[in-house]
Amino acid sequence: MENNSRRTFLGLCLGGLAVGAAASATYPLYRYLAPRQADTNAGKVVIPEKDVPLGEAKFFEFAGAAAVLVRTTKGELIALSAVCTHLGCIVQWEKDKQSFLCPCHAGYYTAEGTVISGPPPRPLPKLPVSVADGSITIG
Amino acid sequence: MNLLKKLFDWIEVRVGASELVEKQLTGYLLPRNINAWYSLGSVLLFIFVLQVVTGILLLIYYVPDAEKAYSSVSHIMNNVPYGWMIRMFHAVGSNMMVLVLLLHMISVLFMGSYKKPRELNWLTGFMLLTLVQGISLTGYLLPWSQLSFWATTVATNSANAIPVIGPHLVEFLRGGKLVGAHTLGRFFALHVAVIPVAIAGLIGAHLFFLKRTGVSTPPFGQKETGNQWQGDSYRHEDHPGGIPFFPNFMLEDLRSISIYLALFFAVVFFNPYLFFPSSAFVPANPYVTPAHIKPEWYFLANYQILKIFPNELIGLAVQGAAMTFLALLPFIDRGKEKHPLKRPLFLACTVIGLLVWLALTVWGHYS
Amino acid sequence: MLAWFFSGAFLIGVVLFQPIPAVSAETTDTVCYECHGNMPGTLGEPVKLWRSSIHAENGISCHSCHGGDSKDMANAMSRDRGFLGVPKEKDIPAFCGRCHVGVLKDFKASAHGRALGKGGPTCVSCHGNHHVLKASLELINEKSCSRCHSYDRAKVIKTAMQDTEKLIVDIEGRIAAYKKIGADIDRLEKGLFAVRNHFHSLFHNVDVEKVKKEASQIQSDLKKLEETLAKMDRTQQRRKIAGVVTVAVALLAALLFHLLGKTFKHEKDV
Repeated sequence: MENNSRRTFLGLCLGGLAVGAAASATYPLYRYLAPRQADTNAGKVVIPEKDVPLGEAKFFEFAGAAAVLVRTTKGELIALSAVCTHLGCIVQWEKDKQSFLCPCHAGYYTAEGTVISGPPPRPLPKLPVSVADGSITIG
Repeated sequence: MNLLKKLFDWIEVRVGASELVEKQLTGYLLPRNINAWYSLGSVLLFIFVLQVVTGILLLIYYVPDAEKAYSSVSHIMNNVPYGWMIRMFHAVGSNMMVLVLLLHMISVLFMGSYKKPRELNWLTGFMLLTLVQGISLTGYLLPWSQLSFWATTVATNSANAIPVIGPHLVEFLRGGKLVGAHTLGRFFALHVAVIPVAIAGLIGAHLFFLKRTGVSTPPFGQKETGNQWQGDSYRHEDHPGGIPFFPNFMLEDLRSISIYLALFFAVVFFNPYLFFPSSAFVPANPYVTPAHIKPEWYFLANYQILKIFPNELIGLAVQGAAMTFLALLPFIDRGKEKHPLKRPLFLACTVIGLLVWLALTVWGHYS
Repeated sequence: MLAWFFSGAFLIGVVLFQPIPAVSAETTDTVCYECHGNMPGTLGEPVKLWRSSIHAENGISCHSCHGGDSKDMANAMSRDRGFLGVPKEKDIPAFCGRCHVGVLKDFKASAHGRALGKGGPTCVSCHGNHHVLKASLELINEKSCSRCHSYDRAKVIKTAMQDTEKLIVDIEGRIAAYKKIGADIDRLEKGLFAVRNHFHSLFHNVDVEKVKKEASQIQSDLKKLEETLAKMDRTQQRRKIAGVVTVAVALLAALLFHLLGKTFKHEKDV
C-alpha cells in the first residue's frame, strides 16, 4: 500500500517533469524552424534630396554600420556601405576624382563601389535607393 | 472512462497487445544480478536517435558546398535561433557516442559477455564501432573549417603507406588529388545517407541477436561463473525468477539515460569548446596549414602509433592487426570462465591494453 | 559477413593519421629572400627584421614596398620592373604613404611633417623600417621623443590618449576571445579596426587640442562596440543559466527514476 502511494507520487512527479521537458524542448525547436522575420523595414533611412548636391556624398548610419549616398556628376544616385572590404576602415569621398578612397591602406573604389586599385578583395556592397517627393529612401 | 475502456478492448481483441506486453515487457525476465552497465546499450540507442534528430535539423540550414559550408555552419551557430544548441548537441553528442560505445565494449569485455554463443553480437557491435568512427570522421569535414580540412587531409593521406594501391586509394577517398569540393561531396553523402542507414541496420541486427540469444548473466555474485552453453542446439538463455524488463529494468535504463543527459547538458551548456580547438572556427584554407593539427581524441592513439613507427606501413599493419584481433576476440578467447578475477591472464592483458591505449592517447595529445 | 567486416577493419586501418609536412606560412613567396636571406650585414638584415613584423604577419612582402619582379630572380631588381631601392630620407613618408594614405596626410600637416628634410622625423624614426610593429602608444616614450625635443608635450598627448587606448586594447581582447569560440565578430572587428585607425592617425597631428576634441567621438564609437559585446556576454550568461537548469532537471529525473525503481525492487525481494 505504501509502495502504491509512493509510486503514484513519483509517477506524477516524473509526468510533470516530462511535460515540462517536452515544452522546453518544443520552444527552441519551434524557434529554430520558424520563418525568419525580415527586418528590412526597421533599417530604412530617409534623406532629403537637397542634402546631396551633384557630385557630393553624404555619410550616414545604416543598420548599425557606416553607409554613404552619392550623387554622381551625371546625376545618378548610389547608396553603398562605407565600410572598406579590406579591413573595415570607413572610406572617404574624393570629390575631385569622383571616387572613394580608404585612408588606411589606399584602397580606391569607383562611385559605384567597384575596386579600382589597392587591397580591397570585394566591391562595396550596394544598398537599395528610391526617390519620392523630394526625399531619398535607403533600405 | 467506460468509453475509453471500450476503445482499449476494441483494439485489444484485434491486436492482442496485452499478450505482446506480457511476452516482451513484463514477462521478459532479466538476470537477477543484472547491473547498471547493461543499460549502456539503451543509452547508446538514445544518443543515436538524438544524433539523427539533430542531424536532420542541421540539414535544414547546412549547405554541402565548399564555398558555402563554413558560412552556413557559422549562420547556424550565430543567427538561427537556438541553432548553436542544435549544432552543439550534434557535435558534442558524436563525441559522447564514441565515449559511451567504448564503455559499453569495455563492460562486455570484463563480464565475458562476448563469449559463445554471442560471437555475432560482438561482431555486429564491433562493426558498429568502426561505422561510428567512420561517421565521426566524415562528419568532421562538413563544417569546412581549417580543422576539418587539415584533419581530413592528414587522415586520408595515411592511406599512401599501403603498397601499390596507396596513392590511388588516397585519390579515390578524396575524389581528387587534394582534399577539396569533391571530397566534401562524397563525405557528405556517406555521413548523411550511407553510414546512418548502415548503422541503423546493424543496430537492428545487434538487437536481433540479443533477442535470440537472450541476455547474458553477469558473472558477479554467482557461484558458478563458467559458460553453460553447449553448442549442441539453439537455446534461448532464460532467466526464470528474474527481474522483469518492464518496469524494473526500463526504469534503470531511464535512470542511466538521465544521468547521461546531465553530463551531456553540462558539456553543451558550460564548455562545448572542450571538443573545439580555435582552428575549428577559421574557414578552410588549402594554402595555410595550422600549427597543431590533431585528430579527434578517439583517434589520437592511432595517430601516435603512426608517429612512433619509423615506417608508415608497419604502423598501419600494427593497427590493422590490433583491430582484427579485437574483432575476432570471441573466436580467439575460447575459455569457459567469465569472471574477470578468475581470468588473470585476460584481466592483465585487458588492463594493460587499456593503459597502453590511454598512454598513446595522452602522448598523442601532447606530442 | 566476415568479408564485410574485414573490409570495415581495413577501412579503419586506412583511416589513420600521420603528420604531413606543413605548407610554408609564407604564401607571399618572393625570390628576394633566396639571396638576401643569406647575405651578411645590411643586405641580409632586413629579411630577418621583416619576418617578425606586422607586415610579414599580414602577407606584405618585400616587393609590396620595394617593387621589382618577385618571381623572376634575374630581373627581381630591375628598375624597368618598378624596383625601388632605399628611399631618400625626404621620400620616406611618400614611400610608406602609398598605402598609408590617411596617415601621410595627417603627418604632412603636422609639425613633424613640416620639419621633413630639416632634421624632422620620418615614419621610420619612430616605427622602424623593416621591423614594423603594430602601432601602439608604447611608441611614444621618453627615450624616443627626447632624441629631438623634450618629452613634456608628447607626454601630455600620451596621457590624453591613454584611457582610450586602454579601452581599445580591452575590447580587442574581448573580441579575440569571442573569435576563438566561433562567434560572429566580423562587424565588431571591422568596427574596432576603423576606430583604432582613426584614433592612431590622430596622433600624427601632434596637436593636443585636436586629440582631446576627437577623443570624445572615438569614445562614443567604442561605447557602441562595448554595448554589443555586453549583449553577447549576457547571451553567454543566459546559456549557462539554462545549463544549470537542464543539468538539475536531468539529475532530478535520474533520482526520481531511481526511487521509482526501488519501489518495484522491494516487492520482488520479499
